[in-house]
Amino acid sequence: MMRHALAEGWLLLRNRGLISPVLAMALAIPISLAGVTLSVRQWLAPVITLGDRENVVTVLLHPRLDKAGRQGWMSDQVQSHPEWELMAVEPEELAVRLAAWFPYLEEVLEREGPEMLPPMVEVRTREPESVLELKDHVEVLAIGPTSSVNRVVGKVARRFAFVLISVAGALVAGAVLLGAIWVHLELHRNAEEIAIMRLMGATEATVRGPFLVAVAVPALLAAVLSVVSTVVVVGWMAQLVAPLGLVAAGVPLAVLVFQVVAAVGLPLAAAVVTLERYA
Amino acid sequence: MIRIRGLTKDYDRRQILRGVDLSIDAGEMVFLTGPSGAGKTTLLRMLYAAEQPTSGEVWVAGSRVDTLSRSELPALRRKVGIIFQDFKLLRRKTVLENVTFVLRFHGIPPRESHRRAYKVLKRLGLHHRQSALPESLSGGEQQRVAIARALVYQPRLILADEPTGNLDADLASELLSLLCDINYQGATVVLATHDHTLLESLPARTLVLHRGGIGYDGMWPP
Repeated sequence: MMRHALAEGWLLLRNRGLISPVLAMALAIPISLAGVTLSVRQWLAPVITLGDRENVVTVLLHPRLDKAGRQGWMSDQVQSHPEWELMAVEPEELAVRLAAWFPYLEEVLEREGPEMLPPMVEVRTREPESVLELKDHVEVLAIGPTSSVNRVVGKVARRFAFVLISVAGALVAGAVLLGAIWVHLELHRNAEEIAIMRLMGATEATVRGPFLVAVAVPALLAAVLSVVSTVVVVGWMAQLVAPLGLVAAGVPLAVLVFQVVAAVGLPLAAAVVTLERYA
Repeated sequence: MIRIRGLTKDYDRRQILRGVDLSIDAGEMVFLTGPSGAGKTTLLRMLYAAEQPTSGEVWVAGSRVDTLSRSELPALRRKVGIIFQDFKLLRRKTVLENVTFVLRFHGIPPRESHRRAYKVLKRLGLHHRQSALPESLSGGEQQRVAIARALVYQPRLILADEPTGNLDADLASELLSLLCDINYQGATVVLATHDHTLLESLPARTLVLHRGGIGYDGMWPP
């Protein structure tokens, strides 16, 4: 059976001539591009984590709010915003911070004591802009800057990574489609011979074996071409972006494994499905 | 060897076969005849499950053919040698490869396959053309390759659809003699033909298809 599949598969390849290497190239190109895309996506991973970092927003409360009132207000916020982490900044700590930033206040602070400072609360959150909703609270005097540069950069990187993954998926889907069309055309070309083989008592495995061999050989070639070209292209790109200080590692091993699986496994799977449905 | 009960076949509301009942014992040689369009080829095709009947039962070598699954068909077809009216040769394979190819499905090693194929081709006078491709052969030669392919694995049942259609009188007579020999060795032979000369050259059981049924079943000439 195996010998028959190899012999007839080889004949199919030989009859095609140059079509097989061209087909291998056609498979290798989208899979290489997918590999490059996935490698670049890996580079974005540290930038994406920026979006997950927490930001701290300071909130100044009304000076008339005493310690108990501040505690009550904080409890309410924790209940209504479980994603926030609230920390009260004690007046002494606030006085130290203010003196550090504004030395001319040191004298006033010493004279009046830190109790004259309004109560302050720090809100630790991944969505700093969400703290702005407190501005309408009567207890709130002012809200500090809600800087979210990290989050925006992380968000953009995440979206870009999603686009890259989608592009890689589309490229691999294109490769699978190519494999399926290729097998379909081969079946069409050999439909008469398949019918004769069946009438002569050939089993399904005997009929399908040669086609699977004829798919597997260019698919293996495509896998080798994809891996080599991805390593070369990613190496070149890594050199280009190295001055930017990005983590320009090589191709992750998982990407190489994915490429081999995609180049060999997916066309073979497409071939099996096509043979099952149309042979 | 063959048992058919109430076999009916319709094509586009046109009834080709109507309630055919038939029994052929192992070792028989049977001619199947009738005018063009009488259903000879259709009846043969249903014996090797290339077509499904509209209704009725078809039994071949102990298996009910009309209910066999796709995975069970190869085993049935390996028991049957089929000689097609249109040869059905593999275009990209040589004469020898066309004959040895089928032996692969029987698990016969290449060396033994070549020996057997050469022997059959020699008997059919085609051994000198073993390396030729089918397209370079005459109609008669292609017919003989198809016959060699059907005989090479010594099946217990041979179904021949107009096997002499492309042969001259001498070759037709030689083929009939070959089929008689095979039948004499115990194989069942069913030969569909509309060639009356062929029918008259050998007294044998003959089934005449007429208006979708078996109009005559007996020795020919009557």
